[in-house]
Amino acid sequence: MKPASASHEEFERLAMPLLDALFNFARWLTHDQTEAEDLVQETFAKALRGFDSFTLGTDFRAWMFRILRNTFLTSRTGLQAKMTVPLDAEDEAPVAVTWETPETLALASVSRQALQTALEELPIAYREVILLCDIEEMKYKDIAEMLSVPIGTVMSRLARGRKLLRQMLAGDQRVGMASKKQG
Amino acid sequence: MSCQDWQTRVEAYVDAELPPHEMDSFRAHAANCSECASTALALIEAKGALRRAGHRYVATSELRARILSESQAAAKSISQPESPPAKVLSWPRWVMAAAAVLLLAAGLFFFSARRQPPSSLAEFADLHVADLASSNPVEVVSTDRHTVKPWFQGRIPFTFDLPDLEGSPFTLTGGRVAYFHQEPGAQLIFTYQRHMISAFIFRDTPQLAISQSSFSDRSTSFNLQTWTQNGLRYVLVSDVNAATLQQLAALLQQRS
Repeated sequence: MKPASASHEEFERLAMPLLDALFNFARWLTHDQTEAEDLVQETFAKALRGFDSFTLGTDFRAWMFRILRNTFLTSRTGLQAKMTVPLDAEDEAPVAVTWETPETLALASVSRQALQTALEELPIAYREVILLCDIEEMKYKDIAEMLSVPIGTVMSRLARGRKLLRQMLAGDQRVGMASKKQG
Repeated sequence: MSCQDWQTRVEAYVDAELPPHEMDSFRAHAANCSECASTALALIEAKGALRRAGHRYVATSELRARILSESQAAAKSISQPESPPAKVLSWPRWVMAAAAVLLLAAGLFFFSARRQPPSSLAEFADLHVADLASSNPVEVVSTDRHTVKPWFQGRIPFTFDLPDLEGSPFTLTGGRVAYFHQEPGAQLIFTYQRHMISAFIFRDTPQLAISQSSFSDRSTSFNLQTWTQNGLRYVLVSDVNAATLQQLAALLQQRS
């Protein structure tokens, strides 16, 4: 076994650089500053307690994110969110992007603010895979492992989530234009 | 494969998740199909926009301090039950001396058993070759050291410095996370004329104890250079000659 002080130093050296990324993820999951802070703090405490069970050399970042997500799922907001997972989320049929034009695909005219609002409103099952894949740049395999779902489910959630995001943003623009006309 | 088939795979292409041969065949297809090419481009752009929008929150310094103090408190409460070191000092001298001899002997035995001279260097040559053969040799594509270095943050358990290569014959083309004996480390790809050079950086562990500083693998005609600095083990692998490799090694060493 590692001596307590050494393993504690090792833990800090590995974990502290991940603080911002973990907090960003927690804040997106919870939509709440205090709740996100508590979630991150609990994640660090749990990870430190369980650090002996972590195998050095395996992906520490994925391990920390998994602890954070599991902690979130047992929180009140997490339990509520779990109930609202869309029913077709497990459908693994591939989603094609054919009907869309490059302009809507690229989100070319969308502001950062609009993108953030849309991401906030996205159902959590989609939001989390997009956060892990596009923002944290994790591999499908790692995301699948973290979520305990097959890779196909990760891919279909990503495709559906991104498509929904584009539809929300395209809708926004239409609403925006319509209200301008009326005004 | 038809355009319709590609439309369901283009997202996996953009996420760099297609098997290598499909990555290549999509590229070949997109070279002749403007529709698929513009779809892929648009998705890449959207992915970038999402990434920028998604990095929205950072932890406050209060949270950072709270977590650090909690972790230090936890460490203290764990280490307290250990017996105080003063007791050890009161042992008779001869016991201490015998223990020291035993420890030294055990250490020597352990060290000689774990030392793997040329074979671990050969493993680095293998990593380099495997990467050359891959369709995505780099995970972060950039010639800018200020992009490549931060990309590794959180992916590997240490940081390193990168030299300014301006005016040198070397170009940085990108990097990726490499694994050696289950330890994550950085692999940087440099080009010299049309040759690729891999620079591996790992934490210096006993498994990485390498006695010589350079090595030529006759069977594969690769040259290797290795050294340690600041607790990190650097290994350069390439088919360029040893003198050129030495030149890049000097640039990397200069940095710190």
